[in-house]
Amino acid sequence: MRSMLNRRGFISAGAAVAAGVAVPGLSGCGVLGGDESDPDTLVLHSQLGGTAPGSATFRAVLDTFRKENPGLRVKSLVNGDELGQVYETSRLAHKEADVVMVNLYDKTVSWTGLGATVAMNGYLDDWGLRKRILPAALTEWTDEKGRLRALPYIASNWPVAFNRAAMHQAGVEEIPLTGDALIAAARKLRAKGTAPVTIGGNDWTGQKLLAQIIQSFLAAPQAKKLYSTGDFSGIKGAREGIEYFVELRDAGVFTDKAQGLTTDSMTTQFNTGAAAMESAMSSALARVPDQVAAHTEVGGWPLPSGAVHPKPTILRTFTVSGFWVSPNGTKKIETVEKFVRFMYRPDVIARFVSEGGRDMAVRTDTLSDGFPLVAKAQKLGDSVSQVVLPDLYVPPSAVQPMIQATSTAFTPGTSARRIISALEGAYRNA
Amino acid sequence: MATTQLRKSAPGKPRFRKSWLPAHMLVWAYAVLLAIPLYYFLASAFKSNEAIFSSPLSPPTSFGFGNFRTAFESAGLGSAIVNSGLVTVFSLALTLGLAIPAAFGLARSRGRVASLVEKVFSLGFLIPTFAALFPTFLLSAVTGLFHTRLFMVLFLPATAMPLSVVILIQFMRTIPQEMEEAARIDGASTFGVLRHIYTPMCMPGIATVLLLNFLTFWNEYLYSLIIIGPDPDLRTVQVALPTLKSQIGTDYGVLTAGTILTLVPVWIMYTLLQRRMQQALVSGAVKM
Repeated sequence: MRSMLNRRGFISAGAAVAAGVAVPGLSGCGVLGGDESDPDTLVLHSQLGGTAPGSATFRAVLDTFRKENPGLRVKSLVNGDELGQVYETSRLAHKEADVVMVNLYDKTVSWTGLGATVAMNGYLDDWGLRKRILPAALTEWTDEKGRLRALPYIASNWPVAFNRAAMHQAGVEEIPLTGDALIAAARKLRAKGTAPVTIGGNDWTGQKLLAQIIQSFLAAPQAKKLYSTGDFSGIKGAREGIEYFVELRDAGVFTDKAQGLTTDSMTTQFNTGAAAMESAMSSALARVPDQVAAHTEVGGWPLPSGAVHPKPTILRTFTVSGFWVSPNGTKKIETVEKFVRFMYRPDVIARFVSEGGRDMAVRTDTLSDGFPLVAKAQKLGDSVSQVVLPDLYVPPSAVQPMIQATSTAFTPGTSARRIISALEGAYRNA
Repeated sequence: MATTQLRKSAPGKPRFRKSWLPAHMLVWAYAVLLAIPLYYFLASAFKSNEAIFSSPLSPPTSFGFGNFRTAFESAGLGSAIVNSGLVTVFSLALTLGLAIPAAFGLARSRGRVASLVEKVFSLGFLIPTFAALFPTFLLSAVTGLFHTRLFMVLFLPATAMPLSVVILIQFMRTIPQEMEEAARIDGASTFGVLRHIYTPMCMPGIATVLLLNFLTFWNEYLYSLIIIGPDPDLRTVQVALPTLKSQIGTDYGVLTAGTILTLVPVWIMYTLLQRRMQQALVSGAVKM
């Protein structure tokens, strides 16, 4: 019996398979690998993909940019939460994208200091963007050594949304402005079977609300010090803030099992009318269904007596997304400049506001009229007080432990002392 | 008593005894328990976030393919499925091309070296996937294959070799020595023995290796994310799918629809190979 495929045939077949294996790899080589030095190819890396808020607008303006620059090839890379990890490994291999659009949070806080991206101070004036960007945004994106980490782009208001229809059904006619009014409203809502305040106690939304409530007795400088050091038992006002949080929680202000909920469950509870209030970013408000949005007002978080703020508080941040330039990007800085200047054009900014329902860290007169709650939040102005967003001050290694500590805080029966211990532990173990 | 029952039952038809009722109830309850998540998964693909969370088990009000279309377009699943297909098919070809001859050689050898080599293959199970990530990343960077699919095509078979070789060795050892001797008398070369005796007789084992590795390669996420990266022209389906997830709020209807789309090739592959694999499992030849 002779083999139909002899040794020579086998070797030929093996070579064919090897060649076949090489084909997809070779077709892939150069798409990223060769582009970092090609001045006519721009590689962008962002989280604006899939169904993320504003991603459709981003895709549309990219198409416009491509049409206006036919000689330029624009490649858009998209990652979700794992963008930081992917960018960092790409940077280690010197194959990172030219421009990164990501928020200033967690790992990215230290990127400029580590050389993963370049300081943007010089480009800000060279590209004539200083007057376009809000000064407060520039301050937020500048590190302690005066380096502008990235060019600020997308911002966010973070008000409290009140479903007036659900509140009316429970006999609550006024938006609560004080802690006592909030507790009274919560009792009435619960009696009607409606959850008062929904919150993702097991993720970053819970962390932000806890941080906001703690700041009831803290002025901005103290809050910055608190979140930088994690000294929750030593800084005056932090303990009182945590005790206020415990008082609200034990009075049933937060939805049941809040310690296990996430952003998705929070927005769904509010969007379906199962809960009457939520503390939400404006991008989440853009997704509130019309029938709920029609009866929803936005405002601030009610304050206890003795609070240091004159009006109910909200969070505002300019750090949702910015343009970070990588070392590879500096090698074709003219191309990067062309893209960035295009993105700051008033018509492009207006599209993000009106079509994408996003708040911008850029001067613009456009309002998100197609997104009524986003527009209402944009108009809040000085009718609310603003507290510090902790993202810039919490050390990156303490961010995730802080979220775990937050879940502990939302767990019924946890004392203020234990919450302080959990929060301080997050800093100690990080 | 038993005789009476036997007389009452129709010939050839299994009798239903009342004493079996609890067992039947338990089996059906277990089946329903398994079916509920599957139903929830399928139904969610046709629902909005609000419907998924507010009434998770209610049937969808419409069976439109809007979520599927959104998932396919916004995550670029078309090219991602092609990329996953390329990486998986070439990796499987390379795995089989290396594992079958290796298992053949080891199964027929009786020496100490062969025994040692076989044990070395088994040691491969002890290496945790995550532990190899950084050295693998460095290797891809040094070889200039970072951000290519070629590296994954070369790397995935290396990770699959221990399991593949160990399974195939067990199959090949069940083939009687006389079969090879008869082939040799007929003038078959060593390669001829592999080609005409061992390979056809090991088809259930090869199908098992194919199916297990297909699932592993198709579902591989971490290395594909880091090594191939997020380029839409290159990324695999497991890297494309999470782009439907957002920190600010995920549309679970779209995400579930996208997940179903990525499962279609798995379902096709399982349908094609399931009989062979079941045959292999029933024969007791898979020693795991």
